[in-house]
Amino acid sequence: MTVAIKIDSINKSYGELQALDDINLEIRKGEFFGLLGPNGAGKSTLIGILGGLVNKDSGSITVLGKDTVKDYRETKLSLGIVPQEIAFDPYFNVRETLKIQSGYFGIRDNDEKIDEILDALGLTDKAEKGPRELSGGMKRRLLIAKALVHDPEIIVLDEPTAGVDVELRNSLWEYVIKLNKEGKTIILTTHYLEEAETLCDRIGIMNKGKVVKVDTKDNLINSIDRKLLKVKVDKTSDDLGEVFASYKLDVDDKNKEFEIEVSKNQLDKVLSLINSLDTTILDMNISSPRLEDVFLKLTQLGGGQD
Amino acid sequence: MVKIRSIIFYSLIKREILRFSKVAVQTVFAPLISTSLYLIIFAYSFQNREAVGYNIPYIDFIVPGLIIMSLIQNSFANTSSSLIVAKYQGNIVDLLLAPFSHIQLSLGFMIGGIARGMLVGFVIYLVSIFFYGGSVAYPFLAIIFALIISGIFSLLGIIAGLWAEKFDHVSIFSNFFITPLTFLSGVFYSVRGLPGIWSEVSLFNPVFYMVDMVRYAFVGQSDISPWLSLIIVGASFLALLYLVTHLFKIGYKVKS
Repeated sequence: MTVAIKIDSINKSYGELQALDDINLEIRKGEFFGLLGPNGAGKSTLIGILGGLVNKDSGSITVLGKDTVKDYRETKLSLGIVPQEIAFDPYFNVRETLKIQSGYFGIRDNDEKIDEILDALGLTDKAEKGPRELSGGMKRRLLIAKALVHDPEIIVLDEPTAGVDVELRNSLWEYVIKLNKEGKTIILTTHYLEEAETLCDRIGIMNKGKVVKVDTKDNLINSIDRKLLKVKVDKTSDDLGEVFASYKLDVDDKNKEFEIEVSKNQLDKVLSLINSLDTTILDMNISSPRLEDVFLKLTQLGGGQD
Repeated sequence: MVKIRSIIFYSLIKREILRFSKVAVQTVFAPLISTSLYLIIFAYSFQNREAVGYNIPYIDFIVPGLIIMSLIQNSFANTSSSLIVAKYQGNIVDLLLAPFSHIQLSLGFMIGGIARGMLVGFVIYLVSIFFYGGSVAYPFLAIIFALIISGIFSLLGIIAGLWAEKFDHVSIFSNFFITPLTFLSGVFYSVRGLPGIWSEVSLFNPVFYMVDMVRYAFVGQSDISPWLSLIIVGASFLALLYLVTHLFKIGYKVKS
């Protein structure tokens, strides 16, 4: 395993606000890493420090073994960062912007790569358009294209699909998955947890300036010992509350359904209790926790449930 | 790596030159028209008059001053507007994320400003040929002096662009600092002819040295030694280049 990014004791504060509090994190080469957290958790600040947009107070970050302060020119060459905020150079059209951007990263005559990216992101027919002629979604695509023109080893996508249509999401993820398979390291921050759940190998969860958990997606999901048992019956009776008094129960009389939250070792007992009811079971569904549940638990956004 | 770094540097310069070329009506032709109007007005109003203390036609005296004034204003405007627009639009992040060294950022922006200043200055010189004949006593010196002066004001434009948080702030810098210092620098008159203490006060105006040394290169005469002016102006240039590079290094008003 080779380390792509090593974040070592990073601290950053804005006045009284401790935006990043002793962040330690390793991202492996070639992995698809998700960085999740609620608004204000410090994700963008951390990415800003990585890319040189934000000055850190203390700590260090290395990118492919190079220090982001001492060897910042080398580390920036390895990084392709898509910032969260849409920004564009008003003087140049899409193709000119990408040519200039290529030059900024030391590449001349980059037309082949530019055409590939324009095609992958559905921007080919907008290549000669000025940024003011582009819709919000198209501007977002241009932002992503700019980060990819120099074929960086590590691609950082900070909320790349915020406010964009499904079509872009699909074409973007298709292209990013292809890049990841080619060996590129991908770091993704997103509010769409289902995206992270589908795409990421490992996930780091941040809250209030701290990394509260880093693990593989599967381990994170399995860390919640909870199943949701949904049972549809021919009739609901008043004694349900009594039978399942020691469980979290939610009865829907109208639809003749009830839900019980159980841990794995309670499953057998609960199934026996359901069998003992004076009712006919019409349907039953057992669902495992999702990444969203883990996220809510770790960031306590779920109102302290679980 | 050297090749990559030179492409990176060249790209910034190219971007800066392309930027003002895209809006040439505003960045090149507008100053050309306004300065040409100055030339017409002064050539008509002061025909057959000599500049005080110089024994040359007034139009010969004023041409180097007008060229330098345009050079100063356009060099300053180029870098300051490039940066404030980049900050306003948010595309300043492109520069921060790219692998520029701090001195490359200083020099890249500065060369963009110099290119516009020199282009406008040269075109105004071509127009001025119709008014005074176009003779230049020391052409090589004129070019060197013009390069240094436009470099200084390009660097000042960078400082203004970094400092400014909105477009108004740049105009404060321009209207309350650059324009008064330029108009009171001896563009339109010789400071030798100023009454009483005003002649000495003018020596505290850094733009005076710039105008005076360029006038020397054009007409072979100046209010003070052109070499003293060159030392003062050259030292100012180096100090500003150091300051601007430092500002890029600390990310003054562009990094949080």
